[in-house]
Amino acid sequence: MSTPSAVAQRSLYWPVQWSRNRGLFGLFVVVVGFLLLYAYLFPGFLSVSGVAKFTQSWFPLALVAMAQAILMLTGGISLAIGPLVSLGAVVAATTMTGPPGALGGIAAVALTGLGIGAVSGVIVVRLRLPAIVVTLAAAFIIGGVALLILPRPGGAIPLWFSELLAGNMPVALGVLVVIALLWKVYLATPLGLSLYAAGENPVGAYRSGVPVDAARIVAYAISGLLCTLAGLFVAAQTGSGDPVIGNAFTLNSIAAAVLGGVGFLGGRGTMRGALAGSLLLSLMISVMFFLGFSPVAQYVAQGLIIIGAVALPEIRRWRTVV
Amino acid sequence: MTSVPIVAARGVSKSFFGNRVLSDVSIALAPGRIHALLGENGAGKSTLINLLSGALVPDSGSIEVDGRSVRSLTPSEARRAGIAVVQQELGLTSDLSVAENIGLGAYPRRFGLIDYRRLARRAREVCDLVGLHEDLSTPVAGLPLGRRQLVEIAKALFREPRVLILDEPTSSLSAHEADTLTRLLRRLRDAGTAVLYISHRLNEVMRLCDHVTVLKDGALTADRSLEGVDASGLVRLMVGRDPGDLFPRWTPSDARETVVTVTGFSAGVLRDIDLEIRRGEILGIGGLVGQGQEELLLGLYGALPGKARKAAFNGVAGLPGSVMRANALGLAYVPADRKREGLHLTHTIAWNMMVPSFGRARALSFRRRADERALATALADRLDIKGDLTRQVQALSGGNQQKVALAKWMPSDPPILLLNDPTRGVDVETKREIYVLLRSFAAEGRAVVLSSSDTPELVHLCDRVAVMREGRIVSTLAHGEATEEAIVAAAMAAEPARAAA
Amino acid sequence: MSTPATERFPGFRIMNVLRSRAFLTVAIVAAVWVIAGLLKPGFGAYGHLRYLLELAAVIGIVAIGQTLVVIAGGIDLSVGAIVTVSAVGVPLASFAGDTSGIGAIAIVLAAATGIGFLNGLGVAFLRVHPMIMTLAMATFLQGVLILIAGGTAISAGSPVLSWLGNARPIGIPAGVVLWIFAAAAALLLMHTTPFGARVYALGANPLAAALSGINTRATTIAVYAICGFFAGLAGVLVLGMNGQGYVGIGDPYLLASIAAVVLGGTSILGGSGTYAGTIPGAVLLVTITALITVVNASPGWRSILFGSLILVLLLFSGREAARR
Repeated sequence: MSTPSAVAQRSLYWPVQWSRNRGLFGLFVVVVGFLLLYAYLFPGFLSVSGVAKFTQSWFPLALVAMAQAILMLTGGISLAIGPLVSLGAVVAATTMTGPPGALGGIAAVALTGLGIGAVSGVIVVRLRLPAIVVTLAAAFIIGGVALLILPRPGGAIPLWFSELLAGNMPVALGVLVVIALLWKVYLATPLGLSLYAAGENPVGAYRSGVPVDAARIVAYAISGLLCTLAGLFVAAQTGSGDPVIGNAFTLNSIAAAVLGGVGFLGGRGTMRGALAGSLLLSLMISVMFFLGFSPVAQYVAQGLIIIGAVALPEIRRWRTVV
Repeated sequence: MTSVPIVAARGVSKSFFGNRVLSDVSIALAPGRIHALLGENGAGKSTLINLLSGALVPDSGSIEVDGRSVRSLTPSEARRAGIAVVQQELGLTSDLSVAENIGLGAYPRRFGLIDYRRLARRAREVCDLVGLHEDLSTPVAGLPLGRRQLVEIAKALFREPRVLILDEPTSSLSAHEADTLTRLLRRLRDAGTAVLYISHRLNEVMRLCDHVTVLKDGALTADRSLEGVDASGLVRLMVGRDPGDLFPRWTPSDARETVVTVTGFSAGVLRDIDLEIRRGEILGIGGLVGQGQEELLLGLYGALPGKARKAAFNGVAGLPGSVMRANALGLAYVPADRKREGLHLTHTIAWNMMVPSFGRARALSFRRRADERALATALADRLDIKGDLTRQVQALSGGNQQKVALAKWMPSDPPILLLNDPTRGVDVETKREIYVLLRSFAAEGRAVVLSSSDTPELVHLCDRVAVMREGRIVSTLAHGEATEEAIVAAAMAAEPARAAA
Repeated sequence: MSTPATERFPGFRIMNVLRSRAFLTVAIVAAVWVIAGLLKPGFGAYGHLRYLLELAAVIGIVAIGQTLVVIAGGIDLSVGAIVTVSAVGVPLASFAGDTSGIGAIAIVLAAATGIGFLNGLGVAFLRVHPMIMTLAMATFLQGVLILIAGGTAISAGSPVLSWLGNARPIGIPAGVVLWIFAAAAALLLMHTTPFGARVYALGANPLAAALSGINTRATTIAVYAICGFFAGLAGVLVLGMNGQGYVGIGDPYLLASIAAVVLGGTSILGGSGTYAGTIPGAVLLVTITALITVVNASPGWRSILFGSLILVLLLFSGREAARR
């Protein structure tokens, strides 16, 4: 037999990774196009501080897009992303300059996200309540907690921390790369990879011995962690905490994940797609800002581009669907 | 063969929504034996498999593993006991690669991470066993149905099972792929694996298996060695009567006016179909699974966009183009997958019967409840659906669900009926009733198009049989010529060529 | 061998009504009212309850459309924006010669219906997921609103609006009267017309509905258009009650409408439910809000209590069977 099987396949991991780009090349091309356009409009972009500034505007959206994408992979969705970002910001602003210290504050932010995420995961998965409604209720509760901790914008973030994350060096970009790598590592664990099976075909996955519930609950916890970390960053950017600063992120996270090709029904999509989607969204906003679009034009264009990006592949498939 | 069975069911029963699916069934899977499980669609085979693999828990009776009784077997316990199942409904994850699917739930680990090297090595081994030569990194979404079936089998082998359960593994395999599987199963048996093999292809069973258990309507009718049993004996055990008795007497009808003509019709996988459908006949559509039969029906029904050089439906030129147009032209379609495509499971029986009328009636008129009730009662009487019509459809047995899916078209009195495998998962009695109904439709001068995976139906029921292969009609056989052999021969004609390629 | 009709269609059984989710929600509302009335003097006063109903009317009217859309298997995240468009739009659309204010209201309702129609087009023809389509629509409308209204509140005064805000025919607030008529129309539409049945068919199994000859695209578009219309109507009522419209006035009604639908026992996954449950759902929602105000808590606690109560109520009425 001269079939390829005779040759033992030496490496599997990288070919698998490569095949996950399937269907995303179009998006990558558009993103690169927007990056070039942005660099052309704003030559300052091509400096260290230019890159730093841009990644800082992108960073929180990137994190929440990942947070939303993970949940969409499980077949769920979260309407509590925004309040959770606010809560992260508020916790950071009230703890980092207080007795817990900066590191203690960061730990508090992380634990808050993990804990709230895990609890909502347990409620959705174990009590079999629809994710959209649970996270809707959670949005009120989390938003309320943020208001309790800090009824009006205030608190403080250590100056050095703000300088570090939101200064002239692209530290945020580095952090984002580390987060993306950590996600790769998680996806290389049996539990992490099971997320796809648990999202697309929970019954089949259960029969194959996949810990479906655990995979989904952990996904909610990770999602919560990413949200509060986004809040930590937002607080570092503004130097203080604001209990409603994150609200816009709920909808933008959905838009970014969908732009990145993550499906609503679970098990379809990639984190690199969600990241590219969030990058595209933030580039669009920046480019329109530089072109001097009025707010209305920005909103209109944003709405149209999102619909267009989602609708185009569907229209191509139109002819073959019942 | 006196060894303790690895897994056994003792007197198990199971009901869904109040329907008894299995009653007091016992089966024992012994090492080094290929055990056939036979039974009509809906006889309870899949339920029995699910009980043996821990996916369901029996209402009564017990499951024994290595001679020890297990109260409620879970899938992970079953897996530890070495039980692996190849399901009929595919359980693959489309965005993951072939190797990742094969290892799912049983990944080799190193430092807590998936050991991709070992996964690749072992996945390659099992893929070679089943004859799957695709690159291991290919996402499953890109594979055709038959290859996915092989991935499922490889996935079961990956767990190095002591008990291997295969639910109709060859239904979407080519002859070549099926041969490889046969050789593999023999090798596994000789190595001491217990194999439970479910198939509708009796000659496959006769060739391969050592022992047979037969189920009929959820009860055990035979549990014996296959030695000294012939195929017709098996059929009697499954059906409970001679196969010929199942079908009403075929009488040629003389009304032969053509109601549908299509020439050069292409849609989806369909290529250049020429077809005439006549009043008063049952036109059978046969072939191996997935050769375009469903596309043909959907294409005629306007649910699949297509093109034709020439087409006329009921005297009107052109393809319908939409379902609503097709309905207006007098076409009705009964889908094969009634749960997903035919019925609204959580709604009532009566309501389901009215759905096409809701589509036809003026949107903002008032519904007449009294008329609806009278109509539903009349339909239920005519099709012999018993009892309360305000029950949810999902509470009905497969056969009665199929009757509802048929009944909902009867108020509009369609002259052209397109039926996609209407007896799939239906008990024998209902099958008989459906056959009688179809013949009476034809006798009333309707045109009936019947796509079926059950070759005897095509042989005994149809006036003509069109056999499809790879999206084309390769042969049209008249009632007398359409023997099982002729249909299978026409369906498989290209097989050797494909196998060699 | 006909079977007797009583066996085919068993008669009205009181237990079925008592076990329905809609009735459960009514019972919860009644219990909450009784307990709150006993514990908190003034809560049970006619005037207070009337006030609660008036507040519930706005949510209830928005939730008519939301109920239909959810039953049809979708969701509309643009209702808040449409309420705002309508509340801000009526003063802007008023023209000379339209002394009663009816003309402006008609223009705005037509516009709101048109917005919903566009949502429906996107969902039905472009096959954009409803959440994305209506979200993008909300984003778009937000842009338009900022352009035309900016940050200022726009006052309105026309006879019709002030009637809506202040009149009390036979002691019932005009808003509640409007709600009663709208609710009756909605219930008739859902439960007595083929269109209503099509909506359920579409939500329960879109594929089976399409193969049964139901025009799923037209039904989808109609459902979103109706949702736009009722969101617009609610906007007019809000304007009448507030006297002025401003950007953001409709925002609270998005989540409130979804919560009312779910509390009323309509499955968020589509195909089942009734507006008869949404009505007590809306009343329950404002009652909870009122009680939280009564306990005089800070905004943070109010929000926490509100969310927790919704979560607890969900455990009673929102349980879904496993999704697949």
